[in-house]
Amino acid sequence: MGLRRYLASKTGWYLGALVVAVVLNFLLPRLIPGNPVDVIVSGLGQGGLSSEAQRQIYEQFMKEFGLDQPMWNQFVTYITSIFQGNLGKSFAFYPTPVTDLIAQSLPFTLVLQIPAILLGWIIGNVLGAVAAYKGGAWDKSVFTTSLVFNSMPYYCLSIILLYVLAVMLGWFPPGGAYSLGNSPEWSMAFFTDALQYWWLPFISLLLINIGGQAVGMRSMAIYELGSDYVNYSRSLGIGDAKMTTYIFRNAMLPQITGLALSIGTMVGGALITELVFSYPGMGTLLFNAIAANDYPVVQAVTLIITVAVLVANYMVEVLYGFIDPRIRASKSGEK
Amino acid sequence: MTNISSNAVTAEAEGPLVPTDPTPGPKAKAKPAWMNLNFGPRLWVSLGIIVVIALLAFVGPLLYPYGPDEKVGSLYDAPSAAHWLGTENFGYDVVAVLMASTRNSLINGLLAGTLATVIGVGIGVVAGYIGGWLEELLMGITNIVLAIPSIVILILISMSLQSTDIPFFKGIVGLALVIGITSWPWTARAVRAQASSVSTREHIDVAKLSGARTPGILIRDVLPYLASYVVMAWVLQLASAILAESTLSMLGLGPSGTNSLGMQLHWALAFQSVATGAWWAFLPPTIVLTLISFGLLYLQSSLDEVFNPRLRRGKKKNLAAAAKRREEAARKLEEEMKAPAGVTEVIV
Amino acid sequence: MTKSLMRANNLTAVYAADSGQDVPAVDNVTLELPEGQILGLAGESGCGKTTLGTALAMIANPPLYVVAGTLEIDGNEINLSTLPKNANQVHRPYRGETVSLLPQGAMNAISPTLRIRDLVVDVMRAHNGSVTKADALDRASDRLKMLEMPTRVLDSYAHQLSGGMKQRMVTVISTLLNPALLIADEPTSALDVSSQKALIEMLLAMVEAKIMRGVIFITHDLPVLSMVTDRLAIMYAGKVVETGRTEDLVNNARHPYTAALLSSVLDPTEDTRTKHVLGIPGSPPNLGNPPSGCRFHPRCKFAMDVCSTTEPKMLSEGDHDFACWWAKEHPRETIPMEVTHA
Repeated sequence: MGLRRYLASKTGWYLGALVVAVVLNFLLPRLIPGNPVDVIVSGLGQGGLSSEAQRQIYEQFMKEFGLDQPMWNQFVTYITSIFQGNLGKSFAFYPTPVTDLIAQSLPFTLVLQIPAILLGWIIGNVLGAVAAYKGGAWDKSVFTTSLVFNSMPYYCLSIILLYVLAVMLGWFPPGGAYSLGNSPEWSMAFFTDALQYWWLPFISLLLINIGGQAVGMRSMAIYELGSDYVNYSRSLGIGDAKMTTYIFRNAMLPQITGLALSIGTMVGGALITELVFSYPGMGTLLFNAIAANDYPVVQAVTLIITVAVLVANYMVEVLYGFIDPRIRASKSGEK
Repeated sequence: MTNISSNAVTAEAEGPLVPTDPTPGPKAKAKPAWMNLNFGPRLWVSLGIIVVIALLAFVGPLLYPYGPDEKVGSLYDAPSAAHWLGTENFGYDVVAVLMASTRNSLINGLLAGTLATVIGVGIGVVAGYIGGWLEELLMGITNIVLAIPSIVILILISMSLQSTDIPFFKGIVGLALVIGITSWPWTARAVRAQASSVSTREHIDVAKLSGARTPGILIRDVLPYLASYVVMAWVLQLASAILAESTLSMLGLGPSGTNSLGMQLHWALAFQSVATGAWWAFLPPTIVLTLISFGLLYLQSSLDEVFNPRLRRGKKKNLAAAAKRREEAARKLEEEMKAPAGVTEVIV
Repeated sequence: MTKSLMRANNLTAVYAADSGQDVPAVDNVTLELPEGQILGLAGESGCGKTTLGTALAMIANPPLYVVAGTLEIDGNEINLSTLPKNANQVHRPYRGETVSLLPQGAMNAISPTLRIRDLVVDVMRAHNGSVTKADALDRASDRLKMLEMPTRVLDSYAHQLSGGMKQRMVTVISTLLNPALLIADEPTSALDVSSQKALIEMLLAMVEAKIMRGVIFITHDLPVLSMVTDRLAIMYAGKVVETGRTEDLVNNARHPYTAALLSSVLDPTEDTRTKHVLGIPGSPPNLGNPPSGCRFHPRCKFAMDVCSTTEPKMLSEGDHDFACWWAKEHPRETIPMEVTHA
C-alpha cells in the first residue's frame, strides 16, 4: 500500500470517527424526553419563580437555543456555529458564551498536564529502561512501585496525597488554584501564589504518568534485551552504556506514540484530579456543568476532549506512515 | 499463546534443547494440562486480594450489625467501638456503607465487564474467522467507536439517562449496561487478530471437511484456543468497568439512590471530608478501589505469565537454589581438574 | 600438530530451567585449535554446539550459565565461568578483539535504528577509546575494499541490505579488530546457495590474509564442513565424542556416532541438505537426564555391556581423539558402517 493510499484511508477513518462523535454529541442530549430547557426551567420553578415568568424564560430559552426548530435545522446551526468557533451560551451563566468559560478553565488544565505528561514521560522511560537493564533488586523495586502507581485509579492517589501532604502535614494548601481574594492576572505576585497551589495536583499527575511510562518502557526494553542485536553487540565487546542507547532508541518509537496519545488525553485525563483538588480546570467546569444541567457547556467539554484525542491519534498514524514503511505495510492489513 | 509448557528452554536457538520424549510415561500422562501451568506467588497474592474484597462485599453484610441505610449518628462521627469507621456525611455507618458500595461496584463490574467481553469476543471471533466484507464492516465500526474516548460517550449517555424518569436506567444495573455497551471495542479488536490466526490452523480445515457448520466450528474449534486470552481480557474489562463507574459517580453521574464506591467518594468529597480530616469517610472507599484495581491488573499480568511462560523471569526460590548448586558444582569441577588423573589416555 | 592457537579446558555450561533443574548443555568439553586452522563443530540439533560457541564467545547470558572452564588463547588464560559477579567486566575486553562471534542468521544482528557506520565506530571505540570516527571508518572502508565490497553499505541501515550482503557485512564487523579466534555459528544456513558460496570464499580469504588466526565453524551443513575445515569435532549430547583432522574423521571414523553422521550425509549422490541422520535410529537423549555410561549407547549398533555402565575416556591415536569402548578394543580399525539410504 502506497503512502498516499495509506494516508487517504487513515484520513477517511478519522473523519468518519469525527462525524460520528459530533453527531453523538449533538444527538444524545436531544434524545431525552422533553428537552434540557424543561429541566432548567422546572429547576427555576422550584426556586419559587411564578409560572408566568417560567413560561417567558422557557420560550426565550427555546428561541435562543433554537430548540423550537426541527432537528435537522438545529444540527446545521450546531455545525455552522462550531466552525465559527461559537460553542453557544451557557444555561447556568446565561448569557456568558461557553467559549469564555472554557478560556477561563483550559489554561489551568494545561498548566498541570503539559509538564506532568512531559516530565512523567522522560522520568518514566529512564526508570523503566534502567529497571529492565539492571534486573534484580532494581527491577523489582522500580517495577513494583510503578505497577502500583499505574494500576491505582489516578484520583485515589490524588485523594491520598491531598490528605497526607496538605491536610495532615500542611505542606501545601488543601485545594484551589490561588489564594482567596486573588484573581488570575499576569503578575509575579499571582504566579508565586498560584505555584503553591499547583505543586500538589502536579505531583499527583506526575507520579501516575511516571508509573505508566515506566511499566511500558520496561516491557519494551525487556523485549529488546532479548533481541539478536543485543547479543551480537555484546559479542563485539560493546559496553553496557552504549548498548543501553541502542535499546533505548529501539524501544523509543512505541513510547513516542505513547507520548502523543497521552498529549491527546490531556484535557480528559485529569478531570477527577481537578475535582479532588478543587482546581478550576476543565474537570471542575464539567462537574459544575453536569450539576447545573448546563448542556451547552457539557457538550463543549466533551467535544474538545474528543477532538483532542482524535487529532493526536491521527497525527501518530500519519507520522508512522512517514517514519516506517514496514509499519505502514503491516498496519494497512489491520484495518 | 499456544505454548503453555512451562519447562521449555527458550534460549537454544536451533530447536528444543530437551527433546520431547515420543512415548511419555504413565506419570506424564496422568498429569492434567493445568497442573503444568506455573502458578507463581503473584497469582496467589492477586487472587487473595480479590477474594478478601469479595468476602467483604458479599459475606460482610450478613455479619455486620448495621445496615447501610440505618442512620446511626450525625455528620462524620469519629470511629468508635460501636462504629469502627465512624459515620459518613448522612450519619450512616461507614463500614456498612462500604460493604454495600463494594458489593454494588463488584456487581456493576461483573455485569458491565462480562457484557463488554461477550460483545467484544462475539464481534472479534465472527470478524476474525469469517473475514471478508463482514470483517471490514465490523472492524470499521469497532475502530470508529474505539477512536472516540469512551468517557465522552459515557458522560453523554448517562447525563441523558439521568433526566429520564425510568429508575432502572439510573440504577446500578442500568449504569452497568451503559458501561458494557460502550467498552467492548478493544476486546473485539484484539480477539479478531487472535481468531484470524487460529482460523488458518489445520484443525479448522479438518472440522470444515468433516461437515461441521460455522457456529459449531466457532464454539468447538475456535473459542477454546482463545480461552486464555478471553479470560485475561475479561479481567481487564472488570477493572475498567469498576473504574468507569467510580469516575462517572464522582462527576455526579453515578447511580442515584444507591451505594457504590464512586458514590461514597462523591459524597465524601462533596461534604469536605478530606479538608476536615474525616479520613474514615474517604479513605476506606479509596483503599478498596485501589485494591480492586491493583488486584485485577496484577491478576491479569500474572495470568499472562502463566499462559506465556516466555514473559516469566524464573521463580526466584528455584533460581537461588540452582545458583547455589552451580557454585558447588563449579568448585568440585575445579578440584577435579587440579587432580592429576589424566583425562586422556594414549593408546599408541 | 602445529602450534596451538587456543585451548578450551573442561568447559561445562548449563541451562537453568524454571523448575530449578539445571540442564547441562555442554558437559566437561576440552577443545583445541592449531594456529591458522578452521575447526568444524558438528552434531545434531540440540547437541550443544551453539551453546559451546556462546560460552567460548563469552556471551553466556541467563538462563545459560558457564559453570566451569578456562580458555587459553593468545597467551591469556581466561576463566570462562559466568558465575563470578563481575564476569561481564572480565570478559568484555576479550569480546570482539580476542574472540569474536559471527552469529547465526545475521538478519537481526544489527540494531534497526543504527547506521552500519555507527556500529563500526562503536565497536572500534569499545576497545580503544581514543580512536577517532574518521580512523574507524577508514579502517572499515579499507577492509571492505580489500574484500571487494562496496563501501557505501556503511551509510545504510540493516534493513536496506540484502540477506547475503548483511551477512557479509556482519562478518566484516565481527573481524574488524582482527580477533585471534572467530566463532562462526551457522553463518550460511539462512542464505541462498550463491550467497553461501560468496560468504565461504570471503571467510577463506580472511584466514588466508591472517585477519583472524583461527575459526570455529559451527554448522549442520556437513558438506560445507568437509570442504572448508582442517579439523572436525563431533558433539553428541553435550560431549565431544571425536576430534581430529577432517580427512581422518571422514575416512577413518573411530566413533560410531561420527561414522553414522558422516556416512549418511556425505554421500554425494543424495540431496544432502535435506537429509537427516539416517544411519542413526532413535532420537538424541534428554540432556536433563542423560543415559548412563556412554551417552550414545542406546542408539549404538556396537554397544557392549560396559558402554551402558561406564563412561568412556578420551583416547588418542596420534592427532585423533575419540571416546569409545569399541574403538578401544579395536585399535586403528575404522568403524564398519555400511551406508544406509532411506
